[in-house]
Amino acid sequence: MANQEIKSEVTGTVWKIECKAGDRVAEGDVLMILESMKMEIPVEATLAGEIVEITVQVDQPVAEGDVVCVVRP
Amino acid sequence: MSMDEGIAALRARERAARVMGGPEKLRKRREAGILNAEERIDRLVDPGSYVETGLLAVSSAPGANARDTPRDGKLAGFGRIEGRPVAVVSNDFTVKGASSSQTNMKKIGHVKRVATERGFPIVFFGESSGARMPDNMGARGMGTQLGNDPTQYVRHRESPWVSAVLGQCYGSSAWYTCLADFAVMRKGAVMAVASPLLASAAIGQKVDPEELGGWKLHSEVTGLIDRVAETDEEAIDLIRRFLSYMPSHNNETPPRLPPPDQAPQDVAARIRETLPENRRRVYDMRKVIEAIVDPASFFEMKPAFGRTAVTGLARMDGATVGVVANNPRHKAGAMDVAACEKITRFLVMCDSFNIPILLFVDTPGFVIGVEGERMKAPGKIMNFMTALQLCTVPKLSVIMRKSYGQAYLNMGGGRNSDEVSAWPTAEISFMDPAYAVQVVTWGRDVSDDEKERLRQDMERDNSVWGLAEIYAAQRVIAPEETRDHLIQMLDFHQLRRSNGLGRHKLAGWPTTY
Repeated sequence: MANQEIKSEVTGTVWKIECKAGDRVAEGDVLMILESMKMEIPVEATLAGEIVEITVQVDQPVAEGDVVCVVRP
Repeated sequence: MSMDEGIAALRARERAARVMGGPEKLRKRREAGILNAEERIDRLVDPGSYVETGLLAVSSAPGANARDTPRDGKLAGFGRIEGRPVAVVSNDFTVKGASSSQTNMKKIGHVKRVATERGFPIVFFGESSGARMPDNMGARGMGTQLGNDPTQYVRHRESPWVSAVLGQCYGSSAWYTCLADFAVMRKGAVMAVASPLLASAAIGQKVDPEELGGWKLHSEVTGLIDRVAETDEEAIDLIRRFLSYMPSHNNETPPRLPPPDQAPQDVAARIRETLPENRRRVYDMRKVIEAIVDPASFFEMKPAFGRTAVTGLARMDGATVGVVANNPRHKAGAMDVAACEKITRFLVMCDSFNIPILLFVDTPGFVIGVEGERMKAPGKIMNFMTALQLCTVPKLSVIMRKSYGQAYLNMGGGRNSDEVSAWPTAEISFMDPAYAVQVVTWGRDVSDDEKERLRQDMERDNSVWGLAEIYAAQRVIAPEETRDHLIQMLDFHQLRRSNGLGRHKLAGWPTTY
């Protein structure tokens, strides 16, 4: 299966990144936390695999639907 | 012809009708793990309860061969589910692709009319290629086939409609699905206005059927489907489950089951475990709902669509309720356009069928920003608000954590529900204090200390005690008291003067917003 893009569900700002390229993740693992509407919004892995790339940085604004990282199944 | 000869002829015609599209087509379906039109009905209704109508009906088109059109491609009849009557239409794709024709539309019209006038649900098993060709062609074809039943595609919600998308559903099978109170779709089935073939021929668009109208599209993007099933069997079992919550018609209350043998024992622990201490943290509201309602009774509608809200049927002490909740797990529970559409549609159904509504509130407000505005967010919010205010069934709200701005009203704040209760963790205001400080100090030179003092003042004023003191909340309760509180209030708020019936002001509302 091709690499899968993990997208942000909300418009907000990247607050904490909790994984790095090369990490193995399980479906449901929290990859990063965004801040939006003064709430901490976790971005979860939608599939199990290996983190290929993190495409955002801390404090970067993201829009709904933006790719925040890429996972190889 | 003697009576014996007549009966022999009847049996012969019945046997001929039951061959459907013939053994070869039926074998292929069996091998693919797909039920045929008869098997679907058998799975739906109580054993031995099915009474077929129009078994001997065939195509009436000029030159049509009766042997090619057994039952004219659509089975129709009556049966029982848990003893209660139900009408059913089951498309037989092995006969002319279950296309719609003059005779089979009369069959559908008949069972729909009986179900509506006599007061019981109707179930459509959708799998149809659309209008039959060439019967519908030309002015005479159209004039004969279409538009002769002005009640064909309208809902007054006299009795529940259910639809299952169990194959290709174009034309009427798609329309009936969109009009239904509950729509289920089997993975691999397709629902669209017209087939990929026609899309390709008419507008040159080469499109994959799944992309045009597959389960992911309809369960996640359009919200036209309430539940997805892996198999025909699972889809039909979901229909039986849905109907178990519903009254047979709008002039009776939903059936009440005996209270659960054992009331949930660990409500406090389950809620405490789910609800974070930190007000900035999110959680899955569905776990809170499941802790409060009767064990294993929560039946979620549209779980993958508009996920910032949760809607579903459940039971409280055996009685059917509709649950409308915010879900902080998605977008912090801020309601977007999809959530508004999902809630509106659910409110309309609950009100039409005398189902009391529970509102569980934890939302920072409506989603703001360009995306929502482009999708008519203000109009969607007002549709939702209007629906809530037109609901005449009892509405009980529980403010669990955040309730902000217009969303406070939409989620039943003040007189917008019949009984407002709040947890000690409730916080109520127009907007988050951090943003409010920016608004009140905008354009002025204000020190950080002063801003912090303003923020702390506003945060204190957000507390539940203010709401209790001015009696905008009738009770403040601990999370573990919520179940008992709601069961008691549902009883006090029963619509005694109308024997439990609401006024159904939303009965003619559209099914999609």
